[in-house]
Amino acid sequence: MAEWNAYYHNEDEEEEQEEGEQSGGDYKVTGRDSLVFLVDASKEMFIKGEDGQPSNFDMTMEVVRSVYTSKIISSHRDLVALVFYGTEQSKNPRNSFKHVYVYHDLDEPGAKRVRDVDGLQGDKGAQLAADTMGSGETSLGDALWCCANLYSDIKLRLSHKRLMIFTCRDDPHGDDSTKDRQARTKASDLKETGVVIDLMHMMKPGGFDVSLFFCDIVSPPEDESELGLQLEPCDKLDDLKKRVRAKEQKKRTMSRLNLCLGKGINVAVGMYATAVMTRKPSAIRLYRETNEPVRSKTRTFHTQTGSLLLPSEIKKAQVYGKKQIVMERDEVDTIKRFDDPGLLLMGFKPMEKLKLHHHIRPAVFLYPEEDEVKGSTCLFSALLMKCREKNVFALCRCISRRNYPPRFVALVPQKEEVDHGKVQITPPGFNAIFLPYADDIRTVDAPQCPVASQMQVNKMKEIVSKLRFKYRSDAFENPVVQQHYRNLEALALDMMAPEDTEDLIMPKVEQIDQRLGPLVQEFKDLVYPNGYNPESKPAAKRKTDTGGGAEKKPKMEVSEDELKAHMQNGTLGKLTVPILKEACKQFGIRTTGTKKQELLDALTARLGS
Amino acid sequence: AQCQQYLTVSALVLCMDVGFSMSNSAPGEEPPFELAKKVIQKFVQRQVFAETKDELALVLFGTDSTKNPLDQDGQYQNITIHRHLMMPDFELLEEIQNQIHPESQQADWLDALVVCMDLLQRETKGKKYDRLNIVLLTDLNTGASADHLDVIIENLKKDGITLQFFLPFPVEEDEEGGGDADRRGPSHPGMGKGLSREQKNSMDMMKHIMLSLDEEDGLDQIYTFTNAIEQLCMFKRIERRPMSWPCQLTIGSSLSIRIVGYKAVTEEKLKKLWISVDAQTNKREDLKRETVYCLDDDNETEVQKDDTIQGFRYGSDIVPFSKVDQEQMKYTHDGKCFAVLGFTKQSLVHRHQFIGNQVIKIFAPKDDEEWPCRPSSGRWHELKMVAIVRYAYDRRSNPQVGAAFPCIKQDYECLLYVQLPFTEDLRQFTFPSLENNKKFTPSDTQLSAVDSLIDSMMLVEENENGEQVDMFKVHQLPNPAFQRHFQCLHHRAVSPGTPLPPMEPWLKAALERPEVISERCQAPLEEMRKTFPLTEVEKKKKVKTSAQLFGKDSEEPDAKKAKGDEEEEEYNLADIAEGSVTSQLTHRIEQLLSNKNTQYYMKSITCIQAFREQSIEVKKKKNTLTIFHLRKYIMIGLEVFWDLLVQGTISLFTWDCRISLKSFLP
Repeated sequence: MAEWNAYYHNEDEEEEQEEGEQSGGDYKVTGRDSLVFLVDASKEMFIKGEDGQPSNFDMTMEVVRSVYTSKIISSHRDLVALVFYGTEQSKNPRNSFKHVYVYHDLDEPGAKRVRDVDGLQGDKGAQLAADTMGSGETSLGDALWCCANLYSDIKLRLSHKRLMIFTCRDDPHGDDSTKDRQARTKASDLKETGVVIDLMHMMKPGGFDVSLFFCDIVSPPEDESELGLQLEPCDKLDDLKKRVRAKEQKKRTMSRLNLCLGKGINVAVGMYATAVMTRKPSAIRLYRETNEPVRSKTRTFHTQTGSLLLPSEIKKAQVYGKKQIVMERDEVDTIKRFDDPGLLLMGFKPMEKLKLHHHIRPAVFLYPEEDEVKGSTCLFSALLMKCREKNVFALCRCISRRNYPPRFVALVPQKEEVDHGKVQITPPGFNAIFLPYADDIRTVDAPQCPVASQMQVNKMKEIVSKLRFKYRSDAFENPVVQQHYRNLEALALDMMAPEDTEDLIMPKVEQIDQRLGPLVQEFKDLVYPNGYNPESKPAAKRKTDTGGGAEKKPKMEVSEDELKAHMQNGTLGKLTVPILKEACKQFGIRTTGTKKQELLDALTARLGS
Repeated sequence: AQCQQYLTVSALVLCMDVGFSMSNSAPGEEPPFELAKKVIQKFVQRQVFAETKDELALVLFGTDSTKNPLDQDGQYQNITIHRHLMMPDFELLEEIQNQIHPESQQADWLDALVVCMDLLQRETKGKKYDRLNIVLLTDLNTGASADHLDVIIENLKKDGITLQFFLPFPVEEDEEGGGDADRRGPSHPGMGKGLSREQKNSMDMMKHIMLSLDEEDGLDQIYTFTNAIEQLCMFKRIERRPMSWPCQLTIGSSLSIRIVGYKAVTEEKLKKLWISVDAQTNKREDLKRETVYCLDDDNETEVQKDDTIQGFRYGSDIVPFSKVDQEQMKYTHDGKCFAVLGFTKQSLVHRHQFIGNQVIKIFAPKDDEEWPCRPSSGRWHELKMVAIVRYAYDRRSNPQVGAAFPCIKQDYECLLYVQLPFTEDLRQFTFPSLENNKKFTPSDTQLSAVDSLIDSMMLVEENENGEQVDMFKVHQLPNPAFQRHFQCLHHRAVSPGTPLPPMEPWLKAALERPEVISERCQAPLEEMRKTFPLTEVEKKKKVKTSAQLFGKDSEEPDAKKAKGDEEEEEYNLADIAEGSVTSQLTHRIEQLLSNKNTQYYMKSITCIQAFREQSIEVKKKKNTLTIFHLRKYIMIGLEVFWDLLVQGTISLFTWDCRISLKSFLP
């Protein structure tokens, strides 16, 4: 009767759906993504750059490794393969191809594979590659054919197939036009079966001429702007990584919706999550004896009869006090239903009406879906241009799925940006910012404090300027997630201890101290009363501190001169309330209030006259 | 669950005018009494379902009878304490629904206020309350005597009681004498005839009280009934304040500044989850849920939970990793922290990259007498810089990286903290360029159509005083999901056995375009329709509706199908298949299939065949639902059965149908 349980299991997930929507990560997975690295192993790839720059081969292995590890963390179900061409030795499933070496078959990446790729890096790696594979003749046609077989040998359903060629040779077959033709044929065969072929071409003396040969091999770019082919060859590791990363992640829509401008004017858009919080994965249960994963089955049955219950034999309820309110299961869904899924345009507002603190969940990205409604891209593009020009955002009501209650989103236009290498860094489209309802905003009573003087502000500004840096959103790794995977890696590979991870979100205290130098003390002098220790507990809690002996009572008296000096320097606020009170008494000022600002005002009025 | 603990409870007195003038209304308008009752209902409903510990009392005035402790020598007449201070419950909801009616007397609203104050004083004695609040709902149509106005104000101040007024009409801030009926427009009922002398007189007294309590914002706490229903004014007033999070802001090793944080914005969820109960007895105890573990072998051998250990996936590897080891090896840190990593240009921190689901406001601590001033609070905003900080709530929670934006308001300064993404969180997708693509470049005519559409749909406008008016403030709208949820629960609680009510009209309207906008954008929309051709692309792979599948068999269109609700129907199958034969067959098929055996599959197929013949015979559209019902079997793991169906080992479906069936396959 396991079958029904699967059904019940789905029911549980339904209840957690809202949670999922919030994290934005639950895509409907229809199959596995696959990626084949086809790497040139010719001698040219191993030539080191000037000044000890890593060879093209080294760079490639570094990139492969980073893709492996990122796949393990973010999408371990994807399949990845590593294949070399132009090798002396051959190794492939039926050994029917010469000079093609399948290093890693199409499979989920694991710890061992990461180590394997590590082994191919550096001088030792080059030696290992020379020993095991060597460099020999090149037939890209054979290599592509071999890759085609890798794809067809997979019994799983593949949703996205990609092949990346890493090379620095723009004319791999020399004058051999037969091989050229064969490669072209094989490439078009592959493309026909839905494989996207990318070229990651790298620097070589004399430049890389894509038009010589590779323009016929690679897949045409997604659009007509010819972004793909005009790329300069890569000579930096970061660029290569960025390029691979941009291609390697298949974009999946969270949902496809209609953006309704008015009756009958529907623009099809896809919703994409561009920032999703990666959490430590949840644990799986293993059978103690064999370490094999076990499946869990949850079933609901009647306590008395012991019989399994069908969904129709269950109702839903909530209890308030002693009152139980019961509803049918479909009623529970109906309550959440307001309208069909979609975005409904309410109107437009100037950009400054979008408040920074109106943030309740990560934004999503919208891009037109020409395949759903023809003409969408043109209208979308016009809307995007005009919103930017007029500096407005579109306010929409958003029902992202069936039986999801509505939320309001601000559609903020985003202009396309490319970097120096013409790689897109920001895509064109709308970012949908989720706006809070009244329930989501809490009332916070702002405490009253005196205003800082101009001198204090200036000092702070100096500090700020000293600690400037250029923030990049991809600069900080999550230490918790990284540590978790280092631990797993160590266990998987029987290492003695996990590799050290650097906690990148730890403040670099020494550097900060050094940069600030005397500024800190100067700031403290301006702001804090003598002997003030911000790290000590607030006064009220000091009673518990019994071991410390007699505490020093702060000196209560201040001379008139001192006070005047403070006033001139704008540092009167540095004095504590008891001292200020004492000072007031000293000058015979009667104050009704005990608030600091009142005391300050009273003193200033008196001393200033 | 950060900053989510709250301190004490609030006490609130709802004081409602039920006197005869409250039933007066212009033709076609809802009388103020009904509106006021709705405000109260809405509020109490919310309190009941939120299960707050707040206490509530209900005082009515203008009642025919008199029931209050101040009733003496003919004073404080026609004022009734309907309910004393206690937690609101369903009884109160039912009472409001059934026992509160318009009555025929009038009472002095100031007297009623005094009764409320007296009630609060008596009934809060000896207990600690966060807030004391009195809410008056009245049309101010009674002559109130101003005799003891000053004493009343003095007492309100002394006891720290706050006041809110809810009126059928809005209050003009500047004294204009008579009612300028035109300006108020027809949107506010009750204003038709202008204000009576009593009302004007009362209005002055009310303003005097409110301004004495709060010089600056006193008048902000006077609302109209319509506003009150749509916003949460009352609720916001007594809402408890979030817990403070005291910490140190540190810059380097030697500069630390005391701060306190409050969660200011966060996505609120309904606190209560649905539980499953037995459909017959409605009892939770009659259901039992059990989780078992089994090996992934043919026999699905069950194993005891004790015989399982914890493991994690590392790509293709599965690594056994016990809880103890995990605890020992996991990332640890020093706990609570708000440390500056550096400062960066605000323009480098992109709004759309904010992550997490909250915003924290950071202040200088309130009770710290020694706190000298607030230089920390981002006076550096002139530099257009933000601080990038490491934030950790406490030792047990994971540290984050985030941005602290300086926020300078007229009456306070603070830092706004928002979480930013880690490298692992980012998905760097690339999309085809839109500008460089000639095929999709909009023409000038198209652009100007969009231009005028935007102009016609601006939600923010300047009024005649040059002030900006925003006609659609999302952050003042209550979460419609909560409203609907409470409405339905309320209904089911007080009238069980009846179908759920339709959505309330105001809520429906609040989720649509403002009327002004819809009218204004008609012409530009027509222009858009003309200039932008949009055609829906027929999708072959899309799941077909049953109507499309069996189009030939039935001429009658299925009303529900037309709405595109196919999945909902699948879900409701049991209820919908009304014909006795069909439902029996459905049941039988389900029984047979649950055995998961080819022999039974064949039997089920015979059943389906019978089902199908039957359905053609009765020419009823409902039966086509089987297809959707069948789809369920894919979900529950009967792929083999499904394959049999699809592969056409039976001459059940025509070739065309089989193709369509294939498209259902996962």
